[in-house]
Order: sequence, then C-alpha cells, then structure tokens
Amino acid sequence: MSDAFIHFDKVSKAFGIVTVVDNLDLSIGRGEFVSMLGPSGSGKTTLLMMLAGFENPTSGAISVGGKRVDALPPHKRNMGVVFQNYALFPHMSVADNVAFPLKMRGASRSEIVERVTKALDMVQLSAFHERKPIQLSGGQQQRVALARALVFEPEVVLMDEPLGALDKKLREQMQMDIRDIHHRLGLTIVFVTHDQTEALTMSDRIAIFNHGKIEQIGRPSEIYDRPKTQFVAEFIGETNLLGGKVASSSNGVLNVILDGGQPISVASATTQEPGKHVKVSVRPERIELDSPGDGQNELKVRVTDIVYHGDHLQVLVDSGHRSFVVKATRKAVAPQVGQEIIASFSPEQCWIVS
Amino acid sequence: MKTLPVSKAVFGTAVVIFLMAPLFAILPLAFTDSIFLNYPIPGFSFRWFHELFTANAWRWSILNSLVIGCGTTILATVLGTIAALGLRGNSASLFFSFFRTAFLLPMVVPAVVLGVGMQLMFAQYGLANTYVGVIIAHTVIAIPFVVVNVTAALQGIDRRLENAAASLGASPAVVLQQVTLPLAMPGIVSGAVFAFATSLDEVVLTLFVAGPNQRTVARQMFSTIRENISPAIAAAAFLFIVGTVVIAGLVLLAQKKTQRA
Amino acid sequence: MTRQPRLSKRITSFALIAPLALFLAFFFVAPLVTMMKTAVSDPVASIALPTVSAALDGWDREGAPPVEAQQALANDIRNVSNDELFGDLVRRLNSAKSGFRTLMTKTRNAVIEDANLNDLVSVDRRWSDPGFWVAVQDAAGASLTDRNLLAAVDLQRDANGDIIDAPEGTSANRTTLFRTMIMAGIVTLCCIAVGLPFAMVAASTTGWKRQLLLGAVLLPLWTSLLVRTAAWYIILQDNGLINLTLQTLGLTNGPVPLIFNRLGVVIAMTHVLLPFMVLPIFSVLIGIPKNLMPAAASLGAHPIRAFLLVLLPLSLRGVVSGALLVFMSALGYYITPALIGGAKDQMISSVIAYYATGAANWGMAGALGIVLLAATMILYVVYLRLSSEEVRT
Repeated sequence: MSDAFIHFDKVSKAFGIVTVVDNLDLSIGRGEFVSMLGPSGSGKTTLLMMLAGFENPTSGAISVGGKRVDALPPHKRNMGVVFQNYALFPHMSVADNVAFPLKMRGASRSEIVERVTKALDMVQLSAFHERKPIQLSGGQQQRVALARALVFEPEVVLMDEPLGALDKKLREQMQMDIRDIHHRLGLTIVFVTHDQTEALTMSDRIAIFNHGKIEQIGRPSEIYDRPKTQFVAEFIGETNLLGGKVASSSNGVLNVILDGGQPISVASATTQEPGKHVKVSVRPERIELDSPGDGQNELKVRVTDIVYHGDHLQVLVDSGHRSFVVKATRKAVAPQVGQEIIASFSPEQCWIVS
Repeated sequence: MKTLPVSKAVFGTAVVIFLMAPLFAILPLAFTDSIFLNYPIPGFSFRWFHELFTANAWRWSILNSLVIGCGTTILATVLGTIAALGLRGNSASLFFSFFRTAFLLPMVVPAVVLGVGMQLMFAQYGLANTYVGVIIAHTVIAIPFVVVNVTAALQGIDRRLENAAASLGASPAVVLQQVTLPLAMPGIVSGAVFAFATSLDEVVLTLFVAGPNQRTVARQMFSTIRENISPAIAAAAFLFIVGTVVIAGLVLLAQKKTQRA
Repeated sequence: MTRQPRLSKRITSFALIAPLALFLAFFFVAPLVTMMKTAVSDPVASIALPTVSAALDGWDREGAPPVEAQQALANDIRNVSNDELFGDLVRRLNSAKSGFRTLMTKTRNAVIEDANLNDLVSVDRRWSDPGFWVAVQDAAGASLTDRNLLAAVDLQRDANGDIIDAPEGTSANRTTLFRTMIMAGIVTLCCIAVGLPFAMVAASTTGWKRQLLLGAVLLPLWTSLLVRTAAWYIILQDNGLINLTLQTLGLTNGPVPLIFNRLGVVIAMTHVLLPFMVLPIFSVLIGIPKNLMPAAASLGAHPIRAFLLVLLPLSLRGVVSGALLVFMSALGYYITPALIGGAKDQMISSVIAYYATGAANWGMAGALGIVLLAATMILYVVYLRLSSEEVRT
C-alpha cells in the first residue's frame, strides 16, 4: 500500500507483562473501509484505542496523513469515534450531543444550528433533537452517535463494535446505512467487530487479529476463499480440515494422501516438501454429494446425520477415518442417513492452511 | 408455617416502632405551653419556637450553626471532590489505595480523642475559640462523607463518555467541566448535604475547640439537656426533623431527576 | 516519550489529592500526634526547674543532697514567676510523692521573702528527706515519661522504677475501660438480637413493605444524634412516656428508674447504632440468591434446618461486619452516655473529656486517648480486612 493514509509501524502495547498488541504493522489507504475482526482479547480494540489516542503505544509509531500522531492527545486528533454502547452524553439533548464537537471547534451559533440540522437529517432524527438520549431506542441512539461522530467532517472515523447492541434487523439496516455514508462522504473508516458477517458485507479489507498480531489481511473474498492459516479458516465461516501428507507437487498442484489413505489433489501456488504433514481446508458448501465430475477429488463416505436448516441441509458424513460437514442445497435429492455416497470437490476449492 | 408471616409482621412492626417512636415522641412537645418537657401536654402554644428565635443563646447558636455549617460544607466539598477526582482510576495503585483509606479515617477515630488533640494543637496556633478553628474541625470529620459520595458517583460514570468528549475535540479541562462534573453532580450534592448535616449535628469537637462565641445549636442542645432541660429543645428537634425530611426529599428528588434525564 | 502521558496522569492525580492530604495531615494527623506527645512528654519540671538537674548530678540519691543543689532549687523556685507554671509543677511533683503541695507553697513563699535564703531544710524539715529530692531529680531530668500511659491502666512505677499496680482506690481507669468494653459488648449483642432478624425480615419482603422497613432504619440515621438522645430522655425520664404509661395502667406505683442508669444507656445506644448492624446484614442477605432456600427445601431440609444450615452461615459475614462497626463506634461514644447515663455509667470517652476539659490534665487525657485510639484502630483494621475479603470472593 504505497498511498498509506493511516500507518502503524511496529506498534506494541503491553499492560504490565501482558502484550496485547505485538509489533504490529498495518497500512490503511485514504477512503478505505477496513474491518478489524478477531476474538475478544486479540488486540483489535486496543489498536483502535491507540489510533484514537485513549491508549499510548508501548513502542512503535502511528501516523496519519504522514504525520506522527502518537504523542497527540485525543482531542487534537480530529477523528470521529463511534463507541460501543454509543457513549452519548446523558445530560445533554440530542441536538446538544451533536453540537458538542462543533462547539469545541468554536463554530458560530448559526453554523452549529445548520450543521446539526443537516447531520440529524442525514440519520433521519430531526424530529428528536430536543429529546434526551435515554428517551431514544437503541437504534436511534446509535444514529445520534453516528451523526455526532460525522458532524465535524473528520477524515477518519473509528467505530468500536458500534452495532453490537442492536437486534439483527436493525443491525442489517445500520450496516447498509454506514456503507452508504462511507461511499457518499469518502470517509476512511476503521471498524472493529467480532461479527464476521458484518465484516464481510461492509469492508474493503478485513484484518484478522489473533494474539495481538494480524493473521491475515485482505479483501473479504480473499479472506473467505483463501484463508492462509487454520485460525483464519476456522474463524471465518465453517470449514473442514483434513490432515494428510504431501506425496508430490507439480505445476501448482499438490498430491496429498489423506490420513485415511485417500489421495486428493490440491491447487497451490507454493510447492511443499514431499512427506510433509499438511492440513487441507474445504468449505462445507464446496462439497457436492453424489455428482462426481472430471478431475474432482472423490471420497467415499457414509451419511451419519442430517440437520435441517431451512434453506439448506447440514449433512454429517464419515469417510471411515474422519467425519466432516457438507452443506447441501435443497435442489439436490436429499440423502438418507446410513447411505453410502461419493463426496466430491475440485482441487481449486480446497487449499493448504498453515 | 402460617404463623411465620404473622410473627414476622409483629416483629417488624415492633422494631419499626422502636426506631421511629422517639422521633414521634419529641415532636408534639415542641408545641407545649408548659415549661416542663414531659407528657401530658397541658395546652398548645408556639412559645418555644418564639423562645428559639428570640432568646439570645438560641438565636446566636442558630446563626453560628448556619455560618459554621456553610463554611464546612464549602471547604469539605471542594477538598473532597478534588481528592475524589485524583483517586479515580488509580484503584490498582497501592499508593493511592493508602490515601483512599486514610481519607476515611476521620470517620473512625473517636471524636473525643480527636477533640483532645485538636484542643491542644489549636491552642498553639491561635485557632482555639475561633470560627475558622471550628470550621476546620467540622471539615475534618465531614470529609469522608464527601469523598465516599463523590467517589461512588465518579465510579458510575462510563469512561467512554469522557473518551467520546475528548475524541470530539474537548480538552481535558473541558471534559471535566462539561461531562465529568455534571454527571457527578448528584454525588457532589449528596456529599455536600452530608457535610452540612455532619457539621449541624457535631457536638464533641465543638465542645473541645469552640469558645462561647461559637456555640452551635447542637452544642446549645447538649447543654440544655444536661443542665436545664426545657421544651425549647423539642422545638429545635422539631426543626431538625422537618429539615431532615425536607432535605432528604430534595436529595432523592434531585437524584431521581438526574437519573431520568 | 510514549511513557510520558501515563506519568503525567499520575502527577495530575497526585496534585489533586495533595490538598486534602495536606489538610488532613495538618488538622487530623497532627492533632493526634500532639495528643500522643502530650501523653508521654513531661516538660513541666525541666522548664520550671532549669538548673537543679545539673546541680544534682553525682548525688548518690540516698544521703542529703549537696548544698549547691539546695541553692539551685531555691533559685529555680524563686524564678518561677508564672503562677500557672508553678501550679503545674506542684501537681507534677505531688503526683510523684504526696506532700509536695504544702511543701512547695511554703518553700516558695519563704524564698521569695528572703532573696538570700539558700538553706531549704531550715524552711521545712522535709527537705532533709532524700525521697523528695529523688522526686525532684526524676521530674527535672525527664522529658519523656510513661507515667500517664501506665496510669491509664492503673499502673505506676515504684521507687525502684518497677511497674506495679496503683494503690486501691486511687484510680478507676481499669474499671472504666472494663465497663466500656462491657457496655459496648452489650450494645453489640442487643443490636445483633434486634438487627439480624430485622434485616432478614426486610430482605424477605418486597415493595412498599421493604421500603418502610428500610426507611425506618435510615430515617433515624439521618436524624440528629442530639434529637434522638433528647427524645430518649423524654421517653425514659421518671415522668416520661414509659413511666407515665406504666403508672396509668397501674402496673407500678412509683416510677421505674430507666434514665441515668445502664439500662437507659443501652436502650438509647442500641437505637442509635442499630442501623450500622442492619445495613451490612441486609446488603449481604439481598446478595444471596433467592432460590437458595427453596433449593434447600427441595433437597429435603426442614425450613428451620434450611435456615440454620444455609441462610444463617451466609449472613454471618454481615453480622461480623455489623458487630465490628457497632462495637467500634460504641467504644468511643460520648454524647449518649453523658446525657442518658448516670455517674456510674460513664465510659472512657467521658473520662477523657473530664481530664481534658475538667481537670486540665492533658497527659492523662492523651494517654487514655491513645488506649481508645489503639482499640478502635485494631477493630477497624480487622473490619477492613474482612470487607476486602468480601470484595475478593
């Protein structure tokens, strides 16, 4: 990323002897929407708090627009922050909440009124400007928080699990709204979440955090379809991990003997030493049941259980050596428990994880 | 098992009567027209309230109590609030825990012990028999109430609110003034009320450090009970109880209001 | 550089607590230290008699003291121009050996009358008794003393400096301390007897009933201590409400003595301190899951067994906290015993107040103050220990 707008350079953060962020490098381009995804305690929120200025890095540098910001106090960083649980000032009205950053910047009365009105219009809350936050629903409070973080037109907006407290419907609506605002205003957004669907649907790029490090960063499709590590594969979506040993590798294809003895082919850009133990990841929805095609990997399996999910069936199968999960569409003829069947997937639909 | 609720009710009522009876027993005597502080009351009059506001000893003591109470309230609230702000967010530090505990000690040390020490020391520094001396003495024992109340209020404030204000461009001083203090106000107000009440009711330290010119209502009541018990004390008690109920009501109301807002 | 913000935050915090810390150091810690110092300091004789100590150096403490010593003492006494200081000196010497009161007055008059008089034995034969000189030497040479501390627990030093019991009847401090403990203990037991079941009743009800029960506890807590004491005075006095009722009902002929005795003090103090017992127990009880008793019942425990085995042990922590608070407060109580109690019900605080304001014997007031302070602080530390454990578990 040559046009890095926000840049973390070897940033570490330790609380006492616990290292929460570990020598981390990350660049974010101007206008990019980057999600930080990971289990709790993986360092994603701490990284965001360091960017906002609420925590100081133990070592390393953070710069925005080419300028070091890590010595700046939060009130001089000019970033909009949307907090978990909104952090609206309970003793101020909605309008006063939204006007707060403008007052801090010494805007004139008329300008404040104009911009607050515009911001509340944007989140469709003009009618509520005199209310106190506690008189609003969760979704409305969330929109006030958003208006407050955007009203002073910051270039960077940081969001810390902003939708976590909303119910599913409202959350999906807000996801659309935030995406829309991102495109319209050309904002740079750093978004912390533990909800993978949210990250996949909203982001330009996703950074997967684990133990204070970024396991993988990339476009949502890269993350989902080509996870580099077992952690990423298991954290995003569901996956089957098949253990095996490399037999040979040629022309971007690895021949792997699974632990059960069955040979399969795996498309791989890198070559691996023959005899090396590897793990092959296959997404449940990439496996077809009973429709073998040319050049496909085929495994003979027995159906052990079928779970009805409405739009699809989750089929548990056993290859004799290990069991795995297949997501079967409703179009196919439903298999029966106990049935012997061929499970197949193409070499391109599976990959080696480390 | 049916008898249990009955005995429970009887016991509960008995204790409530034990707790409340003294307060109700003293109230009617404020309106007696007799010079004796006992029942039955021969006739009703306001003569003892009249006495309270006209007799020099009482009038001065009321004035003294108000002056000393206000001085104590201001000093204790300012010192206690500032200290509570300093203690905040340092709960893990042993150094600050020491001070947190130390600030509560005046509540624990017996008043007579503190009184002896203050009398000795205040005499050396010319503080004995002065208003300043009495205000300082009262402030010492009022401080813990302010620290406890304000600390509790500060603990109730979500740090993210202050972080939010900072991220929106507010400097630390502005965050304090616009967010922290307004949100801690109910605790500061209850601390101030407790400080005032403590000063109003304080006898022992007053006995040791105050001169005849700083005689407070509580001090006057103490000697009235001890020397020449008169129904004026019931009139004073009446004002105390009514005042307590009114102030408690106001504090509760203020807290409800801020909760709702 | 990145460490700086945290350090500056610490400095800000420290700057914020500094004013209160200084205030309390000056007006809370310093008075207590002054009191303790007064209890152990013994400067009167050395101030009033500045030269005699040096003159007595080398004296064998048995025979007659050297002539120079007699001269020095005569000069010293002559130079005490301050009557107050002289009074303190006499009191100090008299407490070491009786007889000084008349001896010193007589001697002072004599040496002032005759500015050249140096032979003290000619003034009074007692000056030939080495015992008086030993007392003078000890008093004039000392600046620290354990006399007050020993006297606070009815001990003294004999002529050899060994610690012995004070003679019968000279002091009653031990009795007072013992009585204070007994009274505080009785009040604590009364508070448990009333407070524990009351807190359980309050915790078992809900809605307005609980509000009423708690309100009844809180209202007295908010009301002036003097008002409450005055109220008990009205109820307990010989023609008070209780005696009036008893006599109207014909249950007694004369008034039952309820005031100016121990019963009255215990009743009034229980009333005053009951909230400190009820509130800790109540807060422990409402923290106990509601379904614990039904759970015990479902496991086959009879309600009384369930109470004894489940609820009581769980509420014990609250009882201990409350008992410590009540006992600690009761130890240092002054106002209620002073107003409701009789002469024989005075607790240690009253004795301290008497020494300080009545007898102007600061040393004794301070020494008894140290005893009370130490007892209170020990109890408080135990209480803190207990409540910090509560947080941890």
